[in-house]
Amino acid sequence: MKKIIISTLAVSALFFTTSCETDFDTDVKDIAVTKGEADFSKFISLGNSLTSGYRDGALYSGGQNESFPSMIAMQMKLAGGGDFKQPLMPNNVGGFTNLPGFPGKLELKMVNGALSPVASNPAAALDNVISGAPYQNMGVPGAKVSHLLAPGYGNPAGLSLGLANPYFVRFASSTTASVVGDALAQNPTFVSLWIGNNDVLGYATTGGDGTNPITPVDGAVGVGFTSTYTALVSTVFPAGTTRKGVVANIPNVTNVPFFTRVPAMPLTNLTTAQVTQLNGGYAAYNAGLAQAKALGAINDAEYQKRLIKFTAGAVANGAVITDKDLATVPGLPKYRQTTSKDYILLTASTVLTPQAGGGTSVPLEDKLVLTEMEAAKVLAATASYNTTIKNLADSKGLAFVDMNAKMTELNSKSGISWDGVRYTATFVTGGAFSLDGVHLTGRGYAIVANEFIKAINMKYKSTLPQVDPNKYSGVTFP
Amino acid sequence: MSMKKILVSTALLAGVLSYAGGFRVSLQGVKQLAMAHTSAHAEDASVAFFNPAGMSFIPSKLSIVAGGFGASNKVTFQNLNTLQSTETDNPMGTPIYAAIAYKPIDKLSIGFSFTTPFGSTIQYPYDWEGKEMVQKLELKSFYFQPMVSVKMADWLSFGASYIYAKGQVNWDKAVTQFGGMVNINDEKASGHGYGFGFYFRPDPKFDMSIAYRSPVDMKAKKGTATFTVPAQNTVNGLLGLNSAGQDGFTATLPLVEEYTIGMTYKVTPKWLISADFNYHGWERYSRLTLDFANAPIGNQADPTILVAPKNFRNSKTFRLGTQYMFNEMVFGRLGAYYDESPYTDENFIPETPSFDSFVVTGGLGFKFKQFGVDVAGGYVMPQSRDVNNSYLGFYGQAKAKAFYVGLGLSYNPF
Repeated sequence: MKKIIISTLAVSALFFTTSCETDFDTDVKDIAVTKGEADFSKFISLGNSLTSGYRDGALYSGGQNESFPSMIAMQMKLAGGGDFKQPLMPNNVGGFTNLPGFPGKLELKMVNGALSPVASNPAAALDNVISGAPYQNMGVPGAKVSHLLAPGYGNPAGLSLGLANPYFVRFASSTTASVVGDALAQNPTFVSLWIGNNDVLGYATTGGDGTNPITPVDGAVGVGFTSTYTALVSTVFPAGTTRKGVVANIPNVTNVPFFTRVPAMPLTNLTTAQVTQLNGGYAAYNAGLAQAKALGAINDAEYQKRLIKFTAGAVANGAVITDKDLATVPGLPKYRQTTSKDYILLTASTVLTPQAGGGTSVPLEDKLVLTEMEAAKVLAATASYNTTIKNLADSKGLAFVDMNAKMTELNSKSGISWDGVRYTATFVTGGAFSLDGVHLTGRGYAIVANEFIKAINMKYKSTLPQVDPNKYSGVTFP
Repeated sequence: MSMKKILVSTALLAGVLSYAGGFRVSLQGVKQLAMAHTSAHAEDASVAFFNPAGMSFIPSKLSIVAGGFGASNKVTFQNLNTLQSTETDNPMGTPIYAAIAYKPIDKLSIGFSFTTPFGSTIQYPYDWEGKEMVQKLELKSFYFQPMVSVKMADWLSFGASYIYAKGQVNWDKAVTQFGGMVNINDEKASGHGYGFGFYFRPDPKFDMSIAYRSPVDMKAKKGTATFTVPAQNTVNGLLGLNSAGQDGFTATLPLVEEYTIGMTYKVTPKWLISADFNYHGWERYSRLTLDFANAPIGNQADPTILVAPKNFRNSKTFRLGTQYMFNEMVFGRLGAYYDESPYTDENFIPETPSFDSFVVTGGLGFKFKQFGVDVAGGYVMPQSRDVNNSYLGFYGQAKAKAFYVGLGLSYNPF
């Protein structure tokens, strides 16, 4: 009897101990953060607005405190990283009162019963923070690749000529200093470089209206992207250097809400009366087109493309735009309606109203639309830039971040989930993009920081922990 | 005070929680728990919940039982990406039960069972990294089961019960987009179900219990979602909330069906061995749908409908228990069981953390004429597991610790 009990107990004991693993193999509290083959003691971050922490159409202290390099630097501190100082703006609004075109940050406000981003007044005049130099976040909003190499980019005298950048003027070591020169003077052990966005973005955000051309792929240093970017990387990482670093490529602009927020064919549910009036208004233009076609001035394809026709009901109508790439026909304006392949910019939102008549009775200006043809140019340039960036990362042995892939993922329907929060590229509600539709929120920048951290860890066998995007700020609601 | 009132107010004091099988809490009999919560024990009315047919084999004409448990657990989650570690601070759960069985005539038994078979209280630090998923979740259920059993032969009975279930949900989670939180609450969910079973005693030494308990769809018809955010007025406007930041919702939470087959064999007049097999129909909990009245916070074509995949799968429990009668008054009991988690690592959810678990149990029973007192304890060894939920973006590892203690009383006057 006793024997039976004992053997029963023995069997059950065996049954229980076979796969009884109740504890973690490794507790995270016992995991040491290591630097691997990298040296994070002097980390410097080079780049543009995305590096500086710019968001909501401005650089302001609250945004800077959530810049992605500052997040990375915080993690690097766990593995021997040093202090990371940022050239903080003197206030949490941003903008420069004494410079045209530098408003304060956009804020969501109730306008006519709907939430809309509204620019605040700039909070202070251009200041100078050189007394606090050197700074390790050297992201300069608006900088293109060539600007980082340009001497005098921080010379106040160059501001009115468009040769200098007020954000670099704030902390440039001298009137002849270059961003790269000031960075290398600090003898960094680790550098992040995310630059080149503005070489296409400036063109794209102005609807390719000619005021801000795409940096050509080819050309000498200071002109063409390939040679300039190569020169920049070779300056920061000269042959034989022990300096380590990480570079990121350029996201396609078509993945950001500035280009996707407004539907490509934005006019729906027009009434029969509206349609009659609009079609009547363009009857003369359409007649002119018919005449031009009859005379052989334009072919049928061009005729069909330009014909203006609105349809009532639940049909999506293209907005009427001015497209400079249409054939020139004497006496006829260059009008057509947008198709699903055009991108109407976020800046057009304010005129796409029945009151303003934008896209209907008033054709949208060139600067408000990135047409299919212009978008193709942007994407082609981006693809070429990204090839250059990847090749240089490989040849210099640098960590590489495919930010284009990450932003494409963000712009997918499923987005990027983190601990139950779903981030997408949807304007405002997506959580990742700030009110300017191009730059990220603190939460979006944290997603970026994690991509850099993953790339650094993979390349240099370090174990920097990722940051929690949900802890950072998103869009502020009034 | 009516019987129902007493039961309900007692029930309101009870918090319940779970470690293994989703949010099923297998603590409905103290004597049974001591023997691994096996079912083929027809000594008193505590068999009622396990199998109504068991009532026909209760030796006494009237039997009344009641009992309660203290159930304590702690779940630890660690994130290997951020190196953060979080421990829950769950209150002690107190599942309770009571049952009465009476034989007006020899061949017929009637009875009533009250239990809290499903529930969970999980409490994370309010600022933990998964706060968007859950900060605190309280699920409670109360089963009221009138039942009847007919003795079809000396060796066979058939019993059936009707289940009326009341339930409560109280769920706090962060809404980080607005820097605030939402409370999802319904105190008055209800549902219906039934159970039936056969109880066999083909030999005085051998009992067999086969039982089925149907699923109960707990319907929250008048739920309230309360948003507490800094930009209250704006968010009220955006989400169509009332001035108190509230919106209504409806939802259905399935309390799933259970198939049980149990056997008890008296090896000697003093010594018995029991074994059970349970099959739980967790597949029914494939998704949770919250249908809000106004708030467009869903993910479907109708923007007020939020569907969260749960992808639970059916699970099994294996139980082995034994009892030794030291003398007419004192009984010693031991048991062990293995309980499967109803989901894979890819579907781990922090609001109802669940682990494959080994449990060892033990207890003592004392008989004083018509009265019985039972004590039981269980030590749970949940298996640590990986968390790979890509839908939620929730990655890491989870482990838990838990134990149960129970005190049961029985009264078999005649």
